[in-house]
Amino acid sequence: MWEFIARSLEASTIFTVAALGELIDQRSGILNVGIEGVMLFGATFGFIAAQSTDSYLLGFLVGIAIGSLLGLLHGFFSVTLGADQVVVGMGIWIFGFGLTTYIGNPYTGPLGMERVPPIFGLSPFFYLGIVLAAVSWFTLSKTNLGLRIRSVGENPSVAEVSGINVTRTRYLCVTIGGMLGGLAGAIYSLFYNPVWNYNFLMGWGFIALALVFFSMWNPWVLLGGSLLFGTLWQLSLNPQLVLPGLLSRYIWRTIPFAVTIGVLLIISTAWFRRRWGAAKPEALGEPYVKE
Amino acid sequence: MQAGLLDGVQYGDTVLEARGITKRFPGVVANDHIDFEIRAGEIHAILGENGAGKTTLMNILFGLLQPDEGELYIGGKRVEFRSPLDAIDLGIGMVHQNRKLVSAHTVIENIILGRPRAGTVLNLKRAEEEVNELCERYGFKIDLRAKVWQLSEGEKQIAEILKALYRGAKVLILDEPTSALAPPQTKNLLASIQAMASDELAIVPFITHKLPIVLEISDRVTVLRRGKVTARLETQDATEESLARQMVGREVIFRVESTKVETGKRILQVENLSTRSDKGFLALKGVSFSIREGEIFGIAGISGNGQHELAEVLAGLRKAEEGQVILEGQDITHSSSLERWRMGVGYIPSERVDVGSIGDFSLVENVAMNFYFDDDFSGPGIVNYGDIRQLTEELISEYDVAAPSPDTKAKNLSGGNLQKIILARVLARKPRLVIANLPTQGLDVGATEFVRNKLVEAKEAKAGVLLISEDLDEVLSLSDRVAPIYEGKFMGIIPGDVAKLEQVGAMMAGLRLEGNIIEETGDT
Repeated sequence: MWEFIARSLEASTIFTVAALGELIDQRSGILNVGIEGVMLFGATFGFIAAQSTDSYLLGFLVGIAIGSLLGLLHGFFSVTLGADQVVVGMGIWIFGFGLTTYIGNPYTGPLGMERVPPIFGLSPFFYLGIVLAAVSWFTLSKTNLGLRIRSVGENPSVAEVSGINVTRTRYLCVTIGGMLGGLAGAIYSLFYNPVWNYNFLMGWGFIALALVFFSMWNPWVLLGGSLLFGTLWQLSLNPQLVLPGLLSRYIWRTIPFAVTIGVLLIISTAWFRRRWGAAKPEALGEPYVKE
Repeated sequence: MQAGLLDGVQYGDTVLEARGITKRFPGVVANDHIDFEIRAGEIHAILGENGAGKTTLMNILFGLLQPDEGELYIGGKRVEFRSPLDAIDLGIGMVHQNRKLVSAHTVIENIILGRPRAGTVLNLKRAEEEVNELCERYGFKIDLRAKVWQLSEGEKQIAEILKALYRGAKVLILDEPTSALAPPQTKNLLASIQAMASDELAIVPFITHKLPIVLEISDRVTVLRRGKVTARLETQDATEESLARQMVGREVIFRVESTKVETGKRILQVENLSTRSDKGFLALKGVSFSIREGEIFGIAGISGNGQHELAEVLAGLRKAEEGQVILEGQDITHSSSLERWRMGVGYIPSERVDVGSIGDFSLVENVAMNFYFDDDFSGPGIVNYGDIRQLTEELISEYDVAAPSPDTKAKNLSGGNLQKIILARVLARKPRLVIANLPTQGLDVGATEFVRNKLVEAKEAKAGVLLISEDLDEVLSLSDRVAPIYEGKFMGIIPGDVAKLEQVGAMMAGLRLEGNIIEETGDT
């Protein structure tokens, strides 16, 4: 049982970190649907760097760095060039999927390093996830910078006449979002499942993206959502750890998806949609053109 | 840019001066050598019709546009604004008509936005104290913790003024300050403006209509027409008529006198009508009234009190929740919009651009939208564009629409001309019932006069007219009966000739008519 909980928290952490990056992105009005691609990049390059230098630190740093570069790339297209953010995001995903498959292929196989030691029996990244959620929440709701980010996401032209540099603020956010996406990918490939193979991420980035919408852009709700999905995911993989012998594993495998349908039902109620509409950054996905 | 040029100014010092400001756009000189100066402690109104160059001038003063020629001086020093930020730093505050506020944020968050003074970690308490002090000093009432989307237009304006003051504005530019306010709010705002002026602030309201307000509070007036300054006056030397003459360039008859017409049989009867708004709450709560031939029935109210929903229900664009609508004896409560047009309802929507016209269509096509279903203008399944073109040409000349040809796209027309063509095509159907929703909103003095005259003509032609307006002068001068509306209910129905401005103004703000209530049921 303990093993199951620890494993679930490890999975949740990856959702938390990636989704927090996306949340910061979106709070500034930038939608990055290609977060899966950013994670693939971070995971693959982090994996290669760690394996070839035998240093976890370097692995994670490379993951973060490559993520920030992809964030900047997304920023260049969607902020500077004012392109359609969904199209750019899809481009980044396909680009990440293709290139990392090509580059990572020779490294197929286990990482072959000793595991990162747990702290109090839990993944050290789990603590990191909670700290990141707390910092994001505090920054967004209590600081001057957070007010600026939220204003840019709600109404960039108002922010501009109030003396805020919309372009700079959005670049800051896409960079941070990219860094966290890359980090989340590296946590996956260096810690959660330290084996490189074809399409190892299997849509985790898209789940993280959905979690951001579900959280109504609140880091604490997002943390809760990540825990729920991390646990469900783990349950579907190893049901025998919790309830041995009950139901076939094929049924367990469907559970995360069945729950997703349930969540969608809740989301589609009028009550939720009204609140969701109020919480959504108003300028989300819209390029800002100066008057 | 050096901030602080306006520190320590005293009453009567020149704070802002414009010399020879010129701005050209392709095909038009929007500002043609404009000079004026503004002193600390004065209220200096800038007056002009739409298209007179007010907006351009305002944008230049706030750094959103750079002039092609001419100089700006602040506190005697020459300045150049590269962006609004420069203007703000030098003490210029702007209260935009299309409010520049983040609607999902609270009032206080909006006020401190972009100000490092509030601290890296926001010290909302201190900011609130500072802003409350400003509120007390100038008599503003506002809940600083409320979200902006919950506020009324008047409160949003207060939030914008506070934001400018919090940033240390010494010159406050107000764009159409009273256009969205009910009379009691207007009175409060004017008092606050005077209090600010007595603190050595220079107040510069830009005004299109509402001349009485100019006369009431301003010290001096600069009038613009076609990009040029046509008059600079001390307000005490000006009259409403002289200002209008300077603005328009000719005499303007102010009060379109509504002639008394013998009213005939009842055209429209509305019984206990209710409907919901787009957001799902009950916006219109059981109103009853009737309109007779040759009568203008005016509904006076601030936007958002259900009058818009009423117009849409009557036009067949919104479902009635309850109640009945009877047009000349026939129940049309559930009739479609097209059936209503055929039965003689003419609808002039308030949204000229979004509902009243299709921007990419030519004027002929726009006129066709009200005629394509008529046997006179269409055969079986085929629209007779030849006839409609001829009609459009007639309407263009009869209504004096400034359009190069009937093939001009509607989006290329100015607001006044667009409204004229919409009005023309509706009235050309000789409707029995005209629903005019904010027919003169945003129009300049000349076009307003024209539209009002046409509504009176429709009434003289024995139509019933439902006039919905925020402009009290308009409702009172045109209507035979007036119903002030507040939160979806009529506050009473008063004959136009006995209705007093103050009384109707108070009723618009929610005061029910006491004593001799002239309630009306369908049988009067």
